[in-house]
Amino acid sequence: MRRSIQLAWLAMIAVLIVAGGVALAADTPRKGGVIRVGNLGEPPALDAHWTTASITETLTNHIYEGLYSLDSSNKPIPMLAEGVTISKDGLVYTFKLRQGVKFHNGKEMTSEDVVASLARWGKQSVYGKALFAQVADWKALDKYTVEMKLKEKSAIVLISLAVPNNFGAIYPKEIAEKFPPEQKVTEYIGTGPFKLAEWKPDQYIRMVRFDDYKSRNEKPNGYGGGKTAYVDEIRWVPVPEVATRVAQVETGELDFADDLNLDAYDRLKKNASARPIVSKPYYWLVAVMNKKDGLMTNQKLRQAWQAAIDIEPIMKNVAGGKPEFYRMDSSLAPVEITAWHTNLTGLPWNEHNRDKAKRLLQESGYKKEPIRFMTTQEYKWMYDFALLTKQQLEDLGFVIDLQVVDWATLVKRRNNPKEYDVFTTGIGAFYDPTHAVFLTPSWPGWTTDEDILRIQSELARETDPKKRMALWEQQTRQFYDKVPVIRYGDLFGLRAARNTVRDFNEKTERVRFYNVWLEK
Amino acid sequence: MGPYLVRRLAAVLPVMAVVATVVFLLIHLIPGDPVSVMLGPDATPTQIEATRQALGLNRPLWEQLVGFYGRVLTGDLGQSYFLDRPVSRALWERAEPTLVLMLCALMVAVAIGVPSGTIAAAHRGSAWDRGLMTVSLLGVCIPGFWLSLNFIYFFAVRLGWLPAAGYVSIFSDPVAALRYMVLPAFSLGFSQSALIARISRSCMLEVLQQDYIRTARAKGLSQGMVTWVHAFRNALVPVVTVIGITTAVLIGGAVVTEIVFNIPGLGRLIISAILRRDYPVVQGVVLVTAAAYVLINLGVDLLYALIDPRIRYD
Repeated sequence: MRRSIQLAWLAMIAVLIVAGGVALAADTPRKGGVIRVGNLGEPPALDAHWTTASITETLTNHIYEGLYSLDSSNKPIPMLAEGVTISKDGLVYTFKLRQGVKFHNGKEMTSEDVVASLARWGKQSVYGKALFAQVADWKALDKYTVEMKLKEKSAIVLISLAVPNNFGAIYPKEIAEKFPPEQKVTEYIGTGPFKLAEWKPDQYIRMVRFDDYKSRNEKPNGYGGGKTAYVDEIRWVPVPEVATRVAQVETGELDFADDLNLDAYDRLKKNASARPIVSKPYYWLVAVMNKKDGLMTNQKLRQAWQAAIDIEPIMKNVAGGKPEFYRMDSSLAPVEITAWHTNLTGLPWNEHNRDKAKRLLQESGYKKEPIRFMTTQEYKWMYDFALLTKQQLEDLGFVIDLQVVDWATLVKRRNNPKEYDVFTTGIGAFYDPTHAVFLTPSWPGWTTDEDILRIQSELARETDPKKRMALWEQQTRQFYDKVPVIRYGDLFGLRAARNTVRDFNEKTERVRFYNVWLEK
Repeated sequence: MGPYLVRRLAAVLPVMAVVATVVFLLIHLIPGDPVSVMLGPDATPTQIEATRQALGLNRPLWEQLVGFYGRVLTGDLGQSYFLDRPVSRALWERAEPTLVLMLCALMVAVAIGVPSGTIAAAHRGSAWDRGLMTVSLLGVCIPGFWLSLNFIYFFAVRLGWLPAAGYVSIFSDPVAALRYMVLPAFSLGFSQSALIARISRSCMLEVLQQDYIRTARAKGLSQGMVTWVHAFRNALVPVVTVIGITTAVLIGGAVVTEIVFNIPGLGRLIISAILRRDYPVVQGVVLVTAAAYVLINLGVDLLYALIDPRIRYD
């Protein structure tokens, strides 16, 4: 009897060990497979310096790398740089480069590649231009050292080198010099974990593992840290019809799909083989005021708009009634950007105060002239929030001329101050206050208010984090007084992945497929 | 026949010139800008202007039009702004999916439309007639995208019989290519079959009332013999016209089907080119589609002579 009990115990322990081993094996990343990713469409370019298009950002970050990247708290961490030393006066940044990093063409990355690439980036990219406006000299000191001399102290050197959009990708010198900044690169050689194998427009973009990729030794951390290309290939498939993207994840023809309509959420939740992923941050919805010409140059009128709107029902409607997909927040930086998220009280946001709005409207001298509010149906959320805004504002005496155009028309017309008063768009994550485009005089809407610009330039110069945060809070309060744009709520996006897709980082704004592996 | 052919081909040139001018002006006169789309939402007006200059988009419209004429006359359709390749290459790459889809959809449309119309006419007023014409009415009424999405949901997602979307070249894997083509061909072919069925029915009804048909019946021929051997060929001329028009429509008009089923053909190309304001591509697709339209119509006219010996082109 005792012997049989002992045997039973032994058998049970053996079963547990085997089961544990199996479970462990199932959770151990393995190499192999092709991950098929369905996205919205074709990128306008695979040149990271050339465009701010988000699809280009997503794709190029698998091929190229910059000197710096962002960690999980969205702070800069070295990527191709080993590190940096900053002179005591804060005017000289000396970057040491990692050694032995190879380009996809087999050439070693050195300082001459870095100098040529960032010089090009500094002439074309939104972030590069802002940084290089402060640069007095930029040169290689030796094969693995580059030096940046500044005209004045700057707080934005490392963060500008780390932003993933329109980023300072390092190309081989020959490519960086061959293509002038206004002409897009058509030879795609980087140092990233994947290299471009084939691009068949409207069919697929194939990226294959770069076997000579030299990963950092750290663990994966946000967009940066160690990167491993577990999958043999990423196949990006443009699927313009969103319902088809959902169906293809359900059938297993795609392993991952991005940019889905929120109404697919319930259907995906019921699917045993796939899972929905709520992507945040996505955008905060914004009505951008034309402050150069026309009715909205009147600050009182902008304040009346801000006081009038009731944001929660608008957001609820835009999010299809699903609370998972919107958030009520007045901070200009989303919650996920912890360094710049603010918790200020008493801001005139989401007041829906009819009396105040009417008073401001009267003070503004508004005489029911039609306000040209431009939106598009190509992004349904833009149209929805514009339509609901029109209804709310017209209840209070505004006259809104809602002009629905296609996206190409909207982005053309918004550059001409004579053609509109307000337009809709979304503000994605920005990783430093100085990168908030809606607070700049060059972006459509043209924020030229002296007080706002003064704080922006102080933010660019001030290097003490505490003082910078105080300035940002001051800027946020000022924003709600000057109202350069109207901030609505945060909207989230929807993605879907098959259950076989493992270790996908759900916390980054844009998708990344290094460190992702397939369980098959 | 020879001089007729030469005359018809010569008439193609002015048609193409008009089409080229109209499409050039239309696409350039509608608002929107390819550079603003390409450079992304955060691009500044200064950047946009610099790239417009680099692409030559800031030149006067007449200058761009003259340049376009010059290129077209030398067989050069220009360079796509978005795709980084010549337009002719972009068109060539998309010709196969569109032609395969067109042929498959046409086969489905003819296979459903012609027999339905003929049977309905032969059994005029019967349950067959009413049933088949109701189905063909549904084909006209049901929106293409709705039918396509439901096909995907039932046959791909629920039943798992066929792939939901995508395209495989018929030259690389013919079996897979056909599997991918079943749903789009049926969804497109079904809607196109409706018109063919209705025209077939009315033509057959007309022919079935002719004296020689009465004579054939009086001679004791079976209903099948009368319908398919004596009446069918004489009813074909208008039906062939409709099939010709359908073919031409399918070349440039399978837009919805190509988008829903993610087929990288000409229809999808032109829609994305319009949305991106990729002017050279829009001009190229419209020119090629117009040329195909004209040539298909010519082919249909020539077919008449083969079907009906009374028609001659002297």
